Parts: sequence; C-alpha cells; structure tokens
Amino acid sequence: MNNSNKISRRRFLALAGSGLASAGIGGHLGNLKARAEDTLPTSDNSTQEPGNKDKLESRFSFCNICPNKCGLIARVQNNRVVRLDPNPEHSKSRGMICARGNAGIQQLYDPDRLKYPLLRKGKRGEGKWQRLSWEEALDLAAKKFRDIADKYTRCGWWFTWGADAQAHFVHRFANVFGSYHIANHESLCFWTRNRGFLDVFGEGPPYPDVLNSKYIIMIGANRFESLITPDSIDLMTAIQQGSKLVVLDPRRTKTAARAHEWFPVKPGTDMAFILALMQVIIKERLYDPEVIHKETTGFNDLEKHVRSYTPEWAARETGIPARDIRRIAREMAKAAPAAMVYPGRRSSTYTNSTEIWRSFAILNGLLGNFDRPGGLLARQDLSLHEAKSYLAPWYEDNPKERADAHKAPLMFEDGAMQTMRDAVINEDPYPVKGLFAYHTNPMQAMPNREKTRRMLENMEFVISVDIKMSDTAWMSDLVLPAPSALERRDPASVKQAGSAGACVYTRDPVVPPLFDSKSVFEILQGLAKRLDLGKFFDFGLEEYREEQLKGMPEVKKALREKGVYNHNGSLYGLYKDKPLRTSSGKIELSSARYKDKGLDPIPVYERPQEVPQNSFRLVVGRNACYTNSNTQNNWLLLQFVPNNPLWINPGAAKKLGIRDGDQIKVSSSVSHVLTVAKVTQDIREDTVCMWSGFGNISDGLTLVGHKGGSVAELLEDHIDTLNGNAALHETFVTVKQA
Amino acid sequence: MKSQYAMIIDSSKCIDCKACLAACKQVNDLPEDHWRNWIKYSEQDPQSAETHLVHFQPGGCMQCNTPTCVEACPTRATYKDERDGTVKIDYGLCIGCGSCIPACPYGARYRNPITRKVDKCDFCDFWRNNFGLEPACVSTCPTKARIFGDIHDPKTRAYQVLRENSDRVVRLSNPQTETKPNMFYLKNTAPKDWPKPARTPDPIKAMLCCLTPGLQGILGASILGALVMWGKQIFTRSEEEQDDRESE
Repeated sequence: MNNSNKISRRRFLALAGSGLASAGIGGHLGNLKARAEDTLPTSDNSTQEPGNKDKLESRFSFCNICPNKCGLIARVQNNRVVRLDPNPEHSKSRGMICARGNAGIQQLYDPDRLKYPLLRKGKRGEGKWQRLSWEEALDLAAKKFRDIADKYTRCGWWFTWGADAQAHFVHRFANVFGSYHIANHESLCFWTRNRGFLDVFGEGPPYPDVLNSKYIIMIGANRFESLITPDSIDLMTAIQQGSKLVVLDPRRTKTAARAHEWFPVKPGTDMAFILALMQVIIKERLYDPEVIHKETTGFNDLEKHVRSYTPEWAARETGIPARDIRRIAREMAKAAPAAMVYPGRRSSTYTNSTEIWRSFAILNGLLGNFDRPGGLLARQDLSLHEAKSYLAPWYEDNPKERADAHKAPLMFEDGAMQTMRDAVINEDPYPVKGLFAYHTNPMQAMPNREKTRRMLENMEFVISVDIKMSDTAWMSDLVLPAPSALERRDPASVKQAGSAGACVYTRDPVVPPLFDSKSVFEILQGLAKRLDLGKFFDFGLEEYREEQLKGMPEVKKALREKGVYNHNGSLYGLYKDKPLRTSSGKIELSSARYKDKGLDPIPVYERPQEVPQNSFRLVVGRNACYTNSNTQNNWLLLQFVPNNPLWINPGAAKKLGIRDGDQIKVSSSVSHVLTVAKVTQDIREDTVCMWSGFGNISDGLTLVGHKGGSVAELLEDHIDTLNGNAALHETFVTVKQA
Repeated sequence: MKSQYAMIIDSSKCIDCKACLAACKQVNDLPEDHWRNWIKYSEQDPQSAETHLVHFQPGGCMQCNTPTCVEACPTRATYKDERDGTVKIDYGLCIGCGSCIPACPYGARYRNPITRKVDKCDFCDFWRNNFGLEPACVSTCPTKARIFGDIHDPKTRAYQVLRENSDRVVRLSNPQTETKPNMFYLKNTAPKDWPKPARTPDPIKAMLCCLTPGLQGILGASILGALVMWGKQIFTRSEEEQDDRESE
C-alpha cells in the first residue's frame, strides 16, 4: 500500500472527523458560540488534526495544575499545544506527568475560560456581569484600593493566593501597599505539620528521603493517589527494592491496598499509635544512645512521658492490635536510621494536629534519621539572589497587629484563613473590607461555605484573578482573567523535594497568551503605577530573572538547554558539627519553648470526639485525577472523576436502607448537600468521605455545572488550637435517603 | 530485518493513576468515553505471596502476530504492517462494520462515534513516524511501568528486558484463541483469564466462508465462461473461413 496515499486519505477523513467532532462534542460548544469573541481560537476538544505533519516545536515549561510543578516539554504546532510530554531531566518529577498534567491542554483551551475583565452588575453571586477594558478595570481597582485604605487603613485589605510562581508578587504588593493580611491556602493545609516539625528540628517543612528508606509508616497520606513528586515515584521504587510500607488510614486507599500492612485506624487516634511505638523503642532500648546523646535533648522527659502509653493502651484507642504495634516498633527500630514516619502534607485534620505531627517529628528524632539516608533531610543551600529588593514604606495609621493576631499561641506570621474570616465577619478587632485573591478559591477551599459567603458579603470590594469562573470569582466584584501557566513567563523558582534535592525552574511562554488575559504580575504592575507604588514594580520579568540568576551561568545554561537546573548537592550530613536552629541547638524531643508558653512540652494524647450514634465522621481525600477545586471543569478529567459520591461502608449503608447509586442527603450542623451514595468496603463503618471541588454554585463552569455536593458546604469551622490551621476531620454528618 | 514493536509492562508498578489513559486520549484526539487503552483491576488473595491487596494491569491493543481482527475484516482494511509489526487500519477501506470488534480477544477495538470507523491503539504511529516521539502512555507513566521498543533489535532496552525475563514473562491469551500478542507482562500479573475467544458475527462468517468464495466461484466461472466463449469465437471464425474457402 502506498504510504502517502494512506496518509492523505487518512488526513482527509480525519479532518472531516475533526469537523464532525467540532460540531458534535458536547453542549458546551453551544456556549462557545454564544461567547465567541474576536480573540477566540478555533478550539474544541480536538487539539490536533491527525495527519498534520507541520513542524513540531518543543518548548520547556512546567505544569501548574497542582503544587508539584512537574517539568514538561510542550509540543507546539502552528502555535497550538498538541502534546505535553514530561521533561526527563527534571530530578523532582523524574520524567512523569500525571493525568492532570496531560489535561493541562484542556485547561489551556477550556471554552469556559475567563476572557476579559468583568465587573459585577447585579447582586453579589447573582452572575450578572459587564465587560470592562483593562484601563477601566485597573482604574476602578486602584480607586477601590485607595477608598478602602482611606476608610479603614491599608490593613483594610487582605491579599490571598495559591501555590503559583507569581504569587510572591502578590506578597510584594501587599507589603508595599502596607497590609499585614496575607493569610492564604497554606493555613488550610500543612501549617500544623510545618509547626510540629519546625519545633522539633528547627526547620520545616521536612524533606523525606523516601527512596532510601527501608521502613515507612504512612499515616493518612495517600501517595499512590495524592501524588507528590518524587515521593510517589520513589515509594514504588523503594517497595520494589524491598522497603516495607505500613499504612494507617480509615479508608482502603490505593496506597493502603498496595502497602505491606494496612490498619483501618480509628480516625484521630494516630498519636496513640506513635506514642506507643516510642514507648516500646525506649523501654526495649532499641534506640541508638550515641545519636540520642549527641543530637537530641529531652530524652529523659520523653522516657517518663511515654511510660504509660503502652501498646495495650494504644490498641484500645486505635483498634490496632497491641502485638502489631510492638512488632512494628521493633521492625522500625531495626531498620533505623533508614526508617521514618512519613511527614505527609495535608495536616488539616484535627484540632490537635500540630501535636499529632509533632509526635511524628519526635519519633523521627528518636529513630536518629534526621539528615541521614532514608530519613528526614535538611534544607539544601540553594538560593537565588533576591531580585529588585525593596524597602516597604511605613504607614503611620496602620493598626499595630494583624486582625487575627493571638488567636492561637503558635500561629505563623501570615495568620490563618479561618481566623481572618471571623475577623472580617465580626469586624473585630477592626474592619477588613477588601479582598484580592489570586489562583485560590476560598469558597471551595474553606470549611463552612456559608461563612465564606458571609465573609464575602461583608467585603466592600472583592477582586479575583483567575483563569476560570470559580465560585470565589463568581462571588467577586471584579474578575480579572489571567493566562494559564503555558502562556506565561515567570521568575525562577527553587523547589526542594524528598530524595530529589533541590532544583531551579522557570517558565517562558509556550504559546502566546489567549484572549485578553494579563498575568497577575502585569496586573499588580498596573495597580502599583496607579497607587504611586510604581517604583516597586518598575521592571520586566526577564530583567527580574536575570538578577535572580546573576553569577549563576551554570543555572542559566541548564535552564536553557534542559529546562531545569538540578542542584545535585549533598543530601546528607548538612548539619555535621553544626547546631540545629532550635533553642537548644539539638533535636527537641521535649520542647522547653512550649513549656515556657504554658503548653505541653511533649504532646499529650487527646482522645478524639466519639462519633455520635447514627452519625459518621466526614473525611476528605484526593485521587490522582483531580486537584482540589482546580480541575473539575476539565473535559478530560471529568471522564475519570465525573462526580463526588459519598463513600459509605456497606454495613452502615444497609442500616440506613441505602444502596449504591442512591440519591442521598448528607447533613452536618451547618448545612446539607444532596449527592449520590457509593457503597464500598474501602471505608470504615463510622466514616464517610467525599472529594472536594464539586457542587459549584458558579454558572461559569459549564462542563461540570453544579454536579455533586460541596464538601466545603458541609464542613464545620474547626481550627487547630495551637496554630489556627484548618481542622477538616472534626465534622459529623448524618446520611439518609434524599 | 523487520521490526516488531512491542510493549513490556511491569504491572506490579502500576498505581492506576490513569495518566496513560489521559495522555493517549489527549494526543490521539479520542472521543468522549472511548479509550484505546485500559487498566484492569483485581483483588489479590491476602494469603498469597504477593502482599498487596490489589493489582493494576495496564493494557491496550497487543499488536498480535496472528491477529484475529485481521481475519475478520471483510474489506482487508485492517492488516499487520510487516515493517514495524503493528496492526493498522486503513481508513480508506474501513467501512465501519465493526466485525473486527468482537474478533479481538482483548476488546482493544471500538467504534469511534465521530468518525464512524473503528479505532484502536497503533503505538502512537503518527507521533513515532513523523516526530520520533514515544507512545504517549510510555512517556507519561509516573512509575515507568511500560517499556516500548523493537524486540527484533538486540540494541533496544525492550529486547534486553524481554530476553532477561523470558522465563517468567506473561502473555495474556484465551485458550481458544491464540493470537501471539506483543504485549509482555513481567513477573506476575493479574487478572490473567480475562481475554475472550475471538468471535466473528454470523453474517460475516457466512460471507467469509460461503458468500465470498461463492461469489468468487461465480465470478471465476463467469470469467471462465467468457473466456470459453471468446475462445470458441476464435475457433468458430477459423472454421467458417475454411468453409468459405472450400465453397469457392
């Protein structure tokens, strides 16, 4: 058969097929036509014409769908991205991109993308908009910045953002504008983990060397579904090389199902397990006394503290048999120092999460694994120059402190989102009336959605910078369209992760920005000019990056040629003969600082609340095909995660007369949602679970629409008592037939 | 020497993240809810040597050496390409009858509702031949569970891995239909007993065994008959000329 004939016939048919595809795929294309603007590309779900042999260019970038920032190579044909491949050189992402990364093309060409500035016309959340030019939008925003600052001081504004390479420009703007309020998504996530580990090791977050660890206890983390690079990849490699994985989780996740041992632990009792492990290791003298003596402080206090936390006691609390706890302690100690309690990431679980994670940190300290292969690694010394450094102006009339200062004894400087929300709603201690939100979605990210609504209603002006009409954008006054990451130039960033160490990466546009979008950097620059702050933003991004990388020709070269600079620095022994950044200079198995503050020097076990009769504890989770509330309106990912049913155990479901697929009503003390039941053995009888990001109120997400139930709507407003971080596993719900 | 591209899969590394399904669908422009590849799931016996409770098995068209889909195709649209060993579909000849679909023991083929022709994995033929890129499922995989290459070429990693594991490699097939698949699973894999016997729809069976040969027979007979008539004309003319000459 003639090869060229085949291709031309194939091409013709395929083009015709694409034409049919354009006409045929989904009702959302009706919306596409309804919103057709002059800058709209001919986009539908066929992103390449099979048979198009035009020149293919390869351009480096990195994914922005989740915090991992995997290195990728975009294949571009006629200025259209037709394929995304992993960057094999990237030490952190190890040559992978996941389903969400591949779906980045769908995000780029999502017909529902925000295309131009929008100003609310009707009531907040009503969905009536008028189009503004950028001039008008920035003029208006600047006026609002001034108005609110005049009425309420500069701290009348709150700036919040997500995990994004340009987010630190929002921080810069907040600083030079003069507001202290920068509570952001991290306080809904891992502040408690960072706090716990910081207070033990003098640095946090911890970097786990999964690849070389021989014994890994994973509590709550679900690395084969909640992908974190390189940990998820390294975990599989480690297991294949003989490492042992023990998982504690009320759900039989894919990680639990692939572990050597899985215990469906009673939710909230993890600390009991950890304390009992320490009791065995200390009682049976399974620790390394030299390491303990040289590198730690507080051992004697710890020994006394855990004496009564026996495996028998812990078995009653956790439901894990005492002999297993004892055996695991011995196995773990034998494998030490290449043994770890995996720190995990999202520690927004209970009101005592800081202490739970501090107990993880203390056990890691006891195992002697800090700064050693297979243990927790120290922060590497790879930093870029601080480019365009500045001295923020001083604003006389500003209040002394943040609106949510002192709401918890061990808060981080940024404050916390839920305490800020309370301050806004109650105008206590003073009013905060403006919100600038970038690449973040409090309406779906914060527990108790009704309260978030009230918070936004209480604001005089809300600005959202986003790529899609998220629920937060839907509730805003001014919505500003940002380009997707594939269309952007970004400064250089450093990221360190697990066994990969640190790397430097950056972005240049893979395709020109679509529609009338502006990056948040450009937006802030425009605002700064209008607010007499122009000198703090009077540079371009290429110039900024040059300054960051000054005197680092090897970094620049690697970025140009490989799309990434891998530090390849020493992973271990970074603290050799150097004190830790704790007050004692050593690993603090017992914290004198906590004691001074009137807090427990060593975590004290607190039994979680009993689940009331006929109720369930609601837990949240992740899978490999969605990211928070970022990816629901994605044609490709909707085919993997079309909805977010409630996971419920068969025994529990039977008692309620609920079958798989039934419509159900899930109620908490703050609200209820209607959703669908997924009856599964993979969850404890006393626990239920839902994915987040569904049940959207926005009409601007036409692919997913209002499908599913919003977990944010159901969750009660709990925080960690020490740190203010969200506590998302303290809500009890009832379930019944809808 | 002809190439034989094949996939070597270590399914014990698969975490069912669906990256391979997503990548394939994206780069090959597949329609909604139809797939060229899959991940099969099985529960393991907790008592067995394998400590894991579940096993995930990625798969797709096996580019078989004796493909039953090719046998079932009435127009010869689908064929084994001897140059690279993949089973291809010539869309100029495919009439979308779908007979090849049940003929595949692996369910690897499906009818594309947009093009109304049959579609299946072709090892990213377009990307390989035009741009030298690997199949998308291979590039994207987080745990690198897939190895792809020409198993006739001793220089490739695929060849070497296959040779090193030749005693324990698993090829999935149905006992009634051995198609000699070119997808090799390393170590143990599960499930193993899912391929179905190849089925050809009765009308197609009838056509292939009776109607087509019948038609060929009729056509052959017609041609033969026409040749006989033509030959007869030639001989008859010569005799008449002879008669004419004799009668003069």
